[in-house]
Amino acid sequence: MSYLSLANITKQFGDTVVVDNFNLEIGKGEFVSFLGPSGCGKTTTLRMVAGFETPTSGKILLDGADITDKAPNQRNVGMIFQSYALFPNMTVAQNIGFGLKVRKEADSVTKQRVSEMISLINLEAHANKYPYQLSGGQQQRVSLARALAIRPQVLLLDEPLSALDAKIRVSLRSEIRSIQKTLGITAIFVTHDQEEALSISDRIVVMNAGEMEQVGTPFEIYNFPKTRFVANFVGSLNTADAEVVDPAKGLVSVDGVQFTSAEGTKQRNKGDKIKVAIRPERFSFATQQHKDNVVEATIENITFLGSVVRIQIKIGNTSFNMDTFNNPFLELPKIGSKQQVTCSKEAVLVLDE
Amino acid sequence: MASSKDRKVAEMKFINRLRKFPFFAWLWFLLGALYFVLPLLATFEFSLSWDPAVPFKAYQRAFEDVRFWRSFIASNVFAIITIIACIILVVPTAYWIRLRLPQARRIVEFITLMPFVVPAIILVFGLIRVYSTPFTIPFTDIVFMKPLTQFKAGTNILIVAGYMVLAMPYMYRSVDTGMRTVDILTLTEAAQSLGASWFVIITRVILPNIRSALLSGALLTFAIVVGEVILASFLGVNAFGPYLFLLGQHRAYEPAALSFVSFLLTWIAMGMIQLVTGGQNQTAGGH
Repeated sequence: MSYLSLANITKQFGDTVVVDNFNLEIGKGEFVSFLGPSGCGKTTTLRMVAGFETPTSGKILLDGADITDKAPNQRNVGMIFQSYALFPNMTVAQNIGFGLKVRKEADSVTKQRVSEMISLINLEAHANKYPYQLSGGQQQRVSLARALAIRPQVLLLDEPLSALDAKIRVSLRSEIRSIQKTLGITAIFVTHDQEEALSISDRIVVMNAGEMEQVGTPFEIYNFPKTRFVANFVGSLNTADAEVVDPAKGLVSVDGVQFTSAEGTKQRNKGDKIKVAIRPERFSFATQQHKDNVVEATIENITFLGSVVRIQIKIGNTSFNMDTFNNPFLELPKIGSKQQVTCSKEAVLVLDE
Repeated sequence: MASSKDRKVAEMKFINRLRKFPFFAWLWFLLGALYFVLPLLATFEFSLSWDPAVPFKAYQRAFEDVRFWRSFIASNVFAIITIIACIILVVPTAYWIRLRLPQARRIVEFITLMPFVVPAIILVFGLIRVYSTPFTIPFTDIVFMKPLTQFKAGTNILIVAGYMVLAMPYMYRSVDTGMRTVDILTLTEAAQSLGASWFVIITRVILPNIRSALLSGALLTFAIVVGEVILASFLGVNAFGPYLFLLGQHRAYEPAALSFVSFLLTWIAMGMIQLVTGGQNQTAGGH
């Protein structure tokens, strides 16, 4: 049973279609991310749920009630902004209590809820400080507490971590996720950062140019991208032009070098031009045991990235990236040398477009 | 050998310091300050020179005059009413333009320039001409109100309206600038999603965050209204401006004393604004 449902949502600004026929059912307590490049319509979709934009057509149902045309202050929705949007004239406690005060809750209720929220975000020592006295991460936590204080039906997060630096981003991300799980609140999280979306979500909606490209769990999105866009946008990926050699066996050829794909190419004909994709981490140096997809590659370049080492290899005339985990005893091949590399049949993805 | 080296180092240090000292900046600053301070000092000096035995005689005389107090209080009341009316008119307007009608900004900015282009004398003649005819019910000759220029409350309404026109550019511009420094749009949306109505948003979120802009707009309005001569004299209102003007025609020392007092009051007001807003200039977004 879906809790929040977006049905056939389309949004146009003038002649430009920003969101095109968006359909999504979100279950209660689910954490869904909208992932996509800027201008893909993810923020607009979120803002329609918040009530800051009205869909050109389509319906938004929240817990069975149609909220499509309700004003933002009539919806019970918590919103978190990239720029924190704390009220500069109010202390942390006043900011958190604002929504309750506006709702004319009794002072005792407000007071109790505010202190509950402050301890939830571990800012007890800062309750009477003003926003400008806090760090960015602390401000965003206050903003989270402020949104949660009104016990919203849905929590909306609009790129909440983008203004923070890398370390805070990671720690706040897991904090948001754990608070969301504890409270069992339904959440929509908008981001352009695939790592963020993969790590935090129950489900991800990948969007591009106003359309949904794929909806699935982070595992599905990463491992089984359905379109070229998803494959490219989520994680790093090698894509290459290929030609179908034997549709029955799943044999394809990249610049004359043959690969077998487990996905098969049965719907295609021999000689069809297709795109194949292989994730860098699926490549490895071949040993005696490897049977499938053992090919010769020239080592072009080696980049040290910390936990992984990225090796640029050339198969035929096509360059691929190959990632291997770093360890202090790693023996790396010489640049320019020829090596046998391999990837499993399952690693060779055939893309839709 | 060593001493000449030391001397060289010292010389270099001196030259460096000279180089760092913004000589011309200070020169222009001093010249500018003199330009403003000298006439004021001269006025003050002159105001004390009536009777060497009683240096503040001019001040005593000026403050003894009941017409001074009457006109001064009247002008202050006008100023306060003008400020309140201007805030009620300008804040929601500037807010709405920033929020929903950014394309109207240029038009409104053009309108705010009008009081600089159209002199006050034209404004007052326009007001007198339009409002010296009685109000009638449209399409009939039935009069339901005397002309505004013919009774005291009417002229008071006219003069406040005129002051609002004169003060509007200053008020609008300072409020608009104040709104630019805080992210009005996001704050509004945050407040909306927390359930706040427009009234609550304006009074509890917007106004407190543009307080220093409001204060500077209010101060400018105050200065304009208290020193205004043309509107008040042509509408026949006993305001401070015409009183000072009249005094200047007949007396020598009291006007000097009063203008010095006016300057002092303005400075005190500015100092108070600095005190009130000084510590609150930080906005959201600090790290």
